[in-house]
Amino acid sequence: MIECPSCGRQHRPGTLFCSECGVYLPTGGPLRTEPLPEEELPASRANPWATGAGEAEAAEKTAMLRVIMGESGRQVQLPVVSEIYLGRLDAAHGIFPDLDLTADGGLEGGVSRRHAKIHQKGNRFFIEDVGSANGTFLNGQRLTPYLPHPLQQGDEVQLGKLELSVEFD
Amino acid sequence: MDFDKDYYRALEISHTATAEEIKRAYRALARRFHPDASDEPNAAERFRKIQAAYEILGDQRQRGAYDRKRREMGLLPTEDAALAWELTVSRQTLPCIKEEQVLYLMVDIRPAAAMGASRLPLNLCLVVDRSTSMQHGRRMDQVKAAAHQIIDDLREGDAFSVVTFHDTAEVVVPAHLGGDKIQAKAKVSAIRPRGGTEIYQGLMTGMQELNRRRRLKAVNHMILLTDGQTYGDEQDCIALADDARRQGVGISAFGIGEDWNDKLLDTIATRSGGVSAYIDTAARVRRLLRRRVRGLSKTHVQDLKLTLRFHESARLDEAFKLSPYIQRVDTSASDRLSLGALEADRPLSVLLQILVGSQPPGRQRILQLETGGDTSIGGEQGQRLVQELWFHCVENLTSESEVPANLVSALGKLAIFKMQENAYDALDIGDTNKACQKLEVMATNLLARGELELANAARLEAGRLARTGSLSPTGRKKIKYGTRSLMINDTGGLR
Repeated sequence: MIECPSCGRQHRPGTLFCSECGVYLPTGGPLRTEPLPEEELPASRANPWATGAGEAEAAEKTAMLRVIMGESGRQVQLPVVSEIYLGRLDAAHGIFPDLDLTADGGLEGGVSRRHAKIHQKGNRFFIEDVGSANGTFLNGQRLTPYLPHPLQQGDEVQLGKLELSVEFD
Repeated sequence: MDFDKDYYRALEISHTATAEEIKRAYRALARRFHPDASDEPNAAERFRKIQAAYEILGDQRQRGAYDRKRREMGLLPTEDAALAWELTVSRQTLPCIKEEQVLYLMVDIRPAAAMGASRLPLNLCLVVDRSTSMQHGRRMDQVKAAAHQIIDDLREGDAFSVVTFHDTAEVVVPAHLGGDKIQAKAKVSAIRPRGGTEIYQGLMTGMQELNRRRRLKAVNHMILLTDGQTYGDEQDCIALADDARRQGVGISAFGIGEDWNDKLLDTIATRSGGVSAYIDTAARVRRLLRRRVRGLSKTHVQDLKLTLRFHESARLDEAFKLSPYIQRVDTSASDRLSLGALEADRPLSVLLQILVGSQPPGRQRILQLETGGDTSIGGEQGQRLVQELWFHCVENLTSESEVPANLVSALGKLAIFKMQENAYDALDIGDTNKACQKLEVMATNLLARGELELANAARLEAGRLARTGSLSPTGRKKIKYGTRSLMINDTGGLR
């Protein structure tokens, strides 16, 4: 028998999906985002109201967002059409983030499959943690999940342990 | 593409070869005759021919065009031309282990050749609920408009009838062959809602009308439209559905609004070999009905059978039809599965969950598959495809090969479908806690797949269930019919 890494239910060998929790068994383990030890992550929390999240909205236009990966130095240009999801691709579960961080060391860095999203409102950009396992950090401060936080030019963003910087024009 | 050339011979394969076999043959031959490596005489010439053949046969669409033309030219045998299939397995190599292991097999069956002008005549009966509730939200108006549309679309040789029912049933348009369309439409227009709902009356009268024009070489089908519960005659309805299948009549059941009995309609459809559908708003009646009638008129095989002959120590565990929506296939007749109608332009996918017992090392035969049924263009004999499935069995399986993506995608959706089944089964026996938990897990899985609306419905209903002990009638249907339709937008599973 094989055991579901997520819920522990026993299955016959060769089974592909756990009937109990729906996990894809061949990769069910590593696909899960492992929680990182607390001391490896920054401690303080960010205050969403500090940098003017409530400012008046300006006319919206499609802008380009540039994400630069800290470790690999890879740069990605993305048009902000509605929302940009950051995470790790998992085809088996139909999770297709706009920006897949698997190749940039996302798994080792504790990036969740659905980690964070960036959207534009008025002429400002906002980043929001979407319930990730290891948190999203803005300039070293942990964001409260599901609370959009304004982004500034050149802000340092950290998903789990993976560092990125964000630029836009 | 040169239709005078025999590409199959160039690759030394039969014209019934699967895509996989073609690829394998091409690789082997290309290695043997590669001009850089081969000492064979005329290697370059042979290599060119092999290349040319694979360019056509390796491409599904080009191969289809080539086959059609060759068939027209009489260069390809036609007797096994009506069906084609593709088999996908979760693993090609099995580990030799004592305990039973699971093997998934997806079978995609499609008509091999374009059907062209040939089309089975229709023998249709529309059975319409005309209880007072049908007045609601212009339901009856929409049904009438849909019936008019069907009448307009009828062709020479088609038979059509309309039966209405409330607590009794009456024949509004008797079964006739290409009769007076204008008169038939006028009669439909005159239908007025009244009384309660007794489905059995309607079905029985519908069967009588169909039997007046029933032919072997025709699509004999009843379409039931209702918006209400029926009381006390459920068992009679199910018995009639079984009877209908024996007589070659399928019943498609459409439920409008929220108050109808989804279990009964699903059972009627499944037992008779038809389909069931949920129509949430009256505005969708016309489109769904028209699509159904179009599908019927494209029937290629009326009742496709899949026969499984297992070798020792392997057996069938479960079987699901994936199109037009996810549906459990009755496995009580053990090796012979009834798959219902195969439409001309829509492949039929079946997913089999097979249990394989302990196998000795080496190349082992696990099962033989056979599919067939009377086709609209085939002769009396119909058409069969047979294939033996072999697997490599090894003592120590070190590297696991990748599971084909379309199979993974289909199984993932099937897992959600099964959770829904489990939740509703738990609900039936009053286990609210379990049902709640299943709905929650479903919601999470749906969310992970980006099925936001359905996930939301599941989460909402889980909350309602915990508070009140029951689902809302709308939520119940939304989740059930949404889940089984997960496969529809998926190009991976159905291509």
